[in-house]
Amino acid sequence: MEKATGFMKALKCRECGREYPLTANHVCEFDFGPLEVVYDYDRIKIALTREVIQSRPKSMWRYRELLPIAHEPTVGREVGFTPLIKADRLARRFGIRELWIKNDTVNYPTLSFKDRVVSVALSRARELGFTTVACASTGNLANSVAANAAAAGLKAYVFIPSDLEQGKIVNSLVYGATVVAIKGHYDEVNRLCAEIAGKYQWAFVNVNMRPYYAEGSKSMGFEILEQSGWKIPKHTVVPMASGSLLTKIHKSYQEAAKLGLVSEAKYHIHGAQPTGCSPISVAQKAGLDFFKPVKPNTIAKSLAIGTPADGFYALKVMKETNGHADDVSDDLIRQGIKDLAECEGIFCETAGGVTVAVAKKLIASGRIPTNDSAVLCITGNGLKTLDAVVGHVGETREIRPSLREFEGLLEAENRSVNA
Amino acid sequence: MAAKTKAKSNATKGSGSQPRQARFWLMYPPKQITSPVIWELGHKFPVVTNVRQASVTDEIGIVCLELDGKRDDVKAAITWLEKQGIKVEPVEINVIES
Repeated sequence: MEKATGFMKALKCRECGREYPLTANHVCEFDFGPLEVVYDYDRIKIALTREVIQSRPKSMWRYRELLPIAHEPTVGREVGFTPLIKADRLARRFGIRELWIKNDTVNYPTLSFKDRVVSVALSRARELGFTTVACASTGNLANSVAANAAAAGLKAYVFIPSDLEQGKIVNSLVYGATVVAIKGHYDEVNRLCAEIAGKYQWAFVNVNMRPYYAEGSKSMGFEILEQSGWKIPKHTVVPMASGSLLTKIHKSYQEAAKLGLVSEAKYHIHGAQPTGCSPISVAQKAGLDFFKPVKPNTIAKSLAIGTPADGFYALKVMKETNGHADDVSDDLIRQGIKDLAECEGIFCETAGGVTVAVAKKLIASGRIPTNDSAVLCITGNGLKTLDAVVGHVGETREIRPSLREFEGLLEAENRSVNA
Repeated sequence: MAAKTKAKSNATKGSGSQPRQARFWLMYPPKQITSPVIWELGHKFPVVTNVRQASVTDEIGIVCLELDGKRDDVKAAITWLEKQGIKVEPVEINVIES
């Protein structure tokens, strides 16, 4: 890459369009709108072709000209290029012609799509000279920051609410991160974390590094396009927490079309939320272009954001692409997890259950026509949310060490199948 | 960038009497939309209020407010706003992610 900024041109306010230098900065000083990276697409078009991409190692960095780093990546070089699986058995169960699963349950190294955004944020943080990184998180993000920072030799601070489950804390502590548990109501903890991020000159991945961090999500979209044979899928179903992933999948499809990597085509991006935290889905269904904040109450903790930062932009994308949003109850989320596990052998976390269950709902309602094809974005591994399904996925059959007892059990099972 | 420079110079290591400039999104529920909340806030607490952006409909009021004052006064002002039923978020909205 020729310049010190690679293929990036500037940071730009999404509201007023003012441009800023490519530093660790995330908010426009004039209207407090979010900043976003803008690229030099003319140069990228010359540098990045399908052939170049296909000649590179199978990781998210094969699209590096479209990711916000100036030089070669230094953190998380093996992240991404997770499988896109043709889910025939699930498609039959849901009564649709074709379903595909973008399987980030096996993303490297911490088994969630957050490794994509974190490796971009930390690679860029290093370029900007940071040696300490931080995040405020209740789960996947904390694990990913802690693990990727450890591998890169960066000091990591992880801020969590003090009532977080022990299992989730261990997943960050094990990597040697400094984990700070903050007592208080969620809103107070959130505000304090913002204050800490503003005061200390660290690379706070989802605060001052947010413009770079969020761009990492696009890699999931680029991979879907390449693995679909360089075509834009007709329907893509994306889980929504802040709404950022949905907007970045859309951006990746648009960028690829602009660069001629795929042909222009009509597509629909649909959003999935749990009913217990569905501000974006409720607004979309009511035809509103704003959402009302809610207090989350759902087993899908990784989607429990009551005031989604990108909610407005997610609504805009669904409107532009004629997409729909829907939401599902905790029981349907568990059923979604089971559907994917039983049909495809993939155990996803609750957010994946939300995506699967909402896809089923959209197919049943005709929003996704049964003669079409859809890609479901599955963002995290089921081992991370075992508590949500314990007691809901059947029980073990216990016997004494006796062949007779085992055969009795088999007979009983056959009887119940035949009944 | 002037505002940012000022915010940085105000950020000192300290206690509640130290100055602080902070930026928040306030979200008003429908029943509070017609109340002069920011005027009241300015009279109750020794903080400088500066509205930087606003959008008000019959269903929701969203205001981006800059507060300048001692840290304890800013905190007390936020607590009062929350008592009025207003949601107070940092401009980043959700810093805590899953």
